[in-house]
Amino acid sequence: MMLTENDVVLCHVDDLKEGDTKGFLENEAGQDLLFVVKFNDEFYGWRNACPHVNNAPMAWRKDAYMDAKKQHVACHAHGALFEPGSGLCIQGPCLGKTLEKVPVYVNSIGMVSILLTDIN
Amino acid sequence: MKIVGLETIIFGVEDVASCATFLTDYGLFPVNVTETGGRFEALDGTAVVLAHASDKSIPASIGNGCMMRKTVMGVADTATIQAITEELSKDREVRQLADGSIESTDDSGFVIGFQVTTRKELNLAGEISNVPGSPFQRPVNHRAVQLEAGPIRPRTLSHIVYFVPDPVKAEAFYVERLGFRCTDRFEGAGPFLQPAGTLDHHTHFLIGAPPFMQGVEHFTFHFGGPTEVMQNGYQFIEKGYQAFWGPGRHIMGSNWFWYFNSPFACHIEMDADMDLHDQNWSPRAFPMGADNSQAFLLRYRSKWSPGKDTPHNGDYE
Repeated sequence: MMLTENDVVLCHVDDLKEGDTKGFLENEAGQDLLFVVKFNDEFYGWRNACPHVNNAPMAWRKDAYMDAKKQHVACHAHGALFEPGSGLCIQGPCLGKTLEKVPVYVNSIGMVSILLTDIN
Repeated sequence: MKIVGLETIIFGVEDVASCATFLTDYGLFPVNVTETGGRFEALDGTAVVLAHASDKSIPASIGNGCMMRKTVMGVADTATIQAITEELSKDREVRQLADGSIESTDDSGFVIGFQVTTRKELNLAGEISNVPGSPFQRPVNHRAVQLEAGPIRPRTLSHIVYFVPDPVKAEAFYVERLGFRCTDRFEGAGPFLQPAGTLDHHTHFLIGAPPFMQGVEHFTFHFGGPTEVMQNGYQFIEKGYQAFWGPGRHIMGSNWFWYFNSPFACHIEMDADMDLHDQNWSPRAFPMGADNSQAFLLRYRSKWSPGKDTPHNGDYE
């Protein structure tokens, strides 16, 4: 896959262990625009914005978006839990709502990227 | 009933080590902490207590992912323990624990405890501003900003905020059974509550919410003043922790605030300079909303002045 100006390379597949999350495009307050999660060896990208309130940041510490059991993405405002692959909230104040997806692409050499047009 | 305030809040967590780091970085003193939990104390000895989620010695979770297992209130004397025991025994179980405290359940299902307070009396001046014409000034040559002065320490447990399914019933329990007073109210949300043994604007705030949300919105410790809140919050962010709201100043209670996400399925706040009220105070009621919650909100700026690196177009943000 050829990279274009529209591609934003985030990391390599080996940079994250299974069940890890990592945030990207940090603002001046130290908060990420989006994060990726490696779950069942797949990569998923989500906006760092819990649907319980406008743009609520979700991690409790930089890059820490998973619950302690590393089974669900969590919003560490009130403990809402989301399915890592579908983004569906299965517990918490935004029950039934879904995280905003950022499509993630993995190329033949394992580089994980998103498209600029998907986040603007 | 002379309930003086919060004594300890007990959490059951999966990742004790991460939670311990979080509370230590917040400024609390770890006391007898092992890989299975321990105490994290403020300057006066009030504390957050951590235990592993599977620990059978702490009360069970109420569900909904709530990690807060028990709120212990400090009382002035054993007579108050006796009075609460008699009152609550009328319609619910009151357990006598080996440490002399009692344990029961409030009308929302939260486990509550009461013990004779062991908080240490603090004799530490808070933040004093040099104000022209004011009789209260900092001593000459005392600096307001001392960045080299080591970690900032929370002074005492301040308040806890519960999501409750029936705020009217929840309020009635604290007011009618435990002698709390409503000091102010968010209409359609719930009351700020003050027990009889303190003048703090609130030690509890209740927010009505659907049953699937029952749990904790936040808890917080009092700090020595707005500068400590700002400085400690800023250092917290530098360590990678994630702010949610603040720094700013509330209208009801007037306390400075800065809210952060936490690994406890609720927010944690840093607060300072809360109003004190007695029986001469008349509660106010405001509609719930941001406009009635924040007198002002501050914003961080990473660059604040043009300088030698300023480009020709003058941008410096």
